[in-house]
Amino acid sequence: MRTRDLSVLLASGLAAACGSTTTVDEFRATTHLMQIDAGDKVVILGRRDAGSYETDRSFVECLGDEIDDAHFEVMSEDAFIDAFYPWFEPRTAPKSLARVQKLMERDFVRARIEETRVRYLVWLDGEIETSGHAGSMSCAIGPAGGGCLGFSSWDKTAFFEAVVWDLKNLTEEARVRVDSEGTSYVIGVIAPIPLLSPVRSQACSGMGEQLKSYFTQVATEG
Amino acid sequence: MRKHWARCLFASSAALLLGACAGSTNIMIEQTFPSVVAQPQALHATLVFDQAFRSYVATPDEHTQIGIGTAQVELLSNAFRGLFTQVDVVTSRDEIPPGTEMVIVASVREVQVSVPSESYLSVYEVWIKYNREIETADGAGIDSWFLPAYGKTPDSMLLSRSTAIEQAAIVALRDAGAKLLLDFFRIPAIYAWMQEHENQKVQS
Repeated sequence: MRTRDLSVLLASGLAAACGSTTTVDEFRATTHLMQIDAGDKVVILGRRDAGSYETDRSFVECLGDEIDDAHFEVMSEDAFIDAFYPWFEPRTAPKSLARVQKLMERDFVRARIEETRVRYLVWLDGEIETSGHAGSMSCAIGPAGGGCLGFSSWDKTAFFEAVVWDLKNLTEEARVRVDSEGTSYVIGVIAPIPLLSPVRSQACSGMGEQLKSYFTQVATEG
Repeated sequence: MRKHWARCLFASSAALLLGACAGSTNIMIEQTFPSVVAQPQALHATLVFDQAFRSYVATPDEHTQIGIGTAQVELLSNAFRGLFTQVDVVTSRDEIPPGTEMVIVASVREVQVSVPSESYLSVYEVWIKYNREIETADGAGIDSWFLPAYGKTPDSMLLSRSTAIEQAAIVALRDAGAKLLLDFFRIPAIYAWMQEHENQKVQS
């Protein structure tokens, strides 16, 4: 009985330790919700212009799945970049609202926007960093069997910022920043037991819920 | 005798492993590129892509070969169709059709590759350096344009060397097309020639 209690206590203690802390900050100049008609699209683009990192494509996809809604469609990043080639390549994409306003002065670009029905563009910038590796683990295998012994931990920090541009009115509608951090562990007791902190998924769902709340309540039919 | 077999087995395994480590990478880029969003200028241009350019295989190092000939012909033909209303593609200057106003002769100056084991970065990178000779239909030079293009993989995790170099080369080719479309008419010599040519057309 005492052994079972100890196991339960240990497991719950470790599970709690693997949790992550997520903070979502937002900035909006207005409290009005964003207008989006049925059939309009939202696209999420990851920043690719920095030399040292690129916004994780899987995080862009995760965020797209989070905000996808029955009233409007989330256009895939690749489909959007291809549909507007060469204006949203890593080196040519507009990094500021002033550059988008300049780009939209070209009739053929504006015509393509209307044709594809992309109403909002979300620029996503950020990355997930791993740091603070500690501990060690060694595994061995022999004729009588194998096993691991030891303990290893590391910290993960995710920070992402999303900027939402309205491509119809050419205005910045919102800025959302999410910070998420947590520590993951691997305990080697014969078999390695990973206890991973859900930093990525917490950051994705935190930002996704915030962005989705701007759209869904005002979706209009037809 | 048994010892001899064990030694042979060890030697052949070691040779096989060493061979695998120093293996060569042969990549053929076969990629379709998106059509361009652009407003072409009213001009008849002819692109001269000779046989060497069409079947170009880059050898950035002794272990790597990247066939970019077919892909670059498709990409650049597509990009130039976004710049001019009429574009012909020929293999030599002898085939330039009548009515041509501008001739563009493209060649590859160099291709460079950087891999994580050499750069200590987590990405594969590819640089393609192009030369473009821009001439009138009579062969008079308008400008010589050096165009460097760059591509990299998001990161090298879970990618084989050949897949990673292929992805980086495709990004570099797309970059070449994008830079061409955005910068071509900004080149002072070409801008001046276009203005002059337009005036001549109006006067005649």
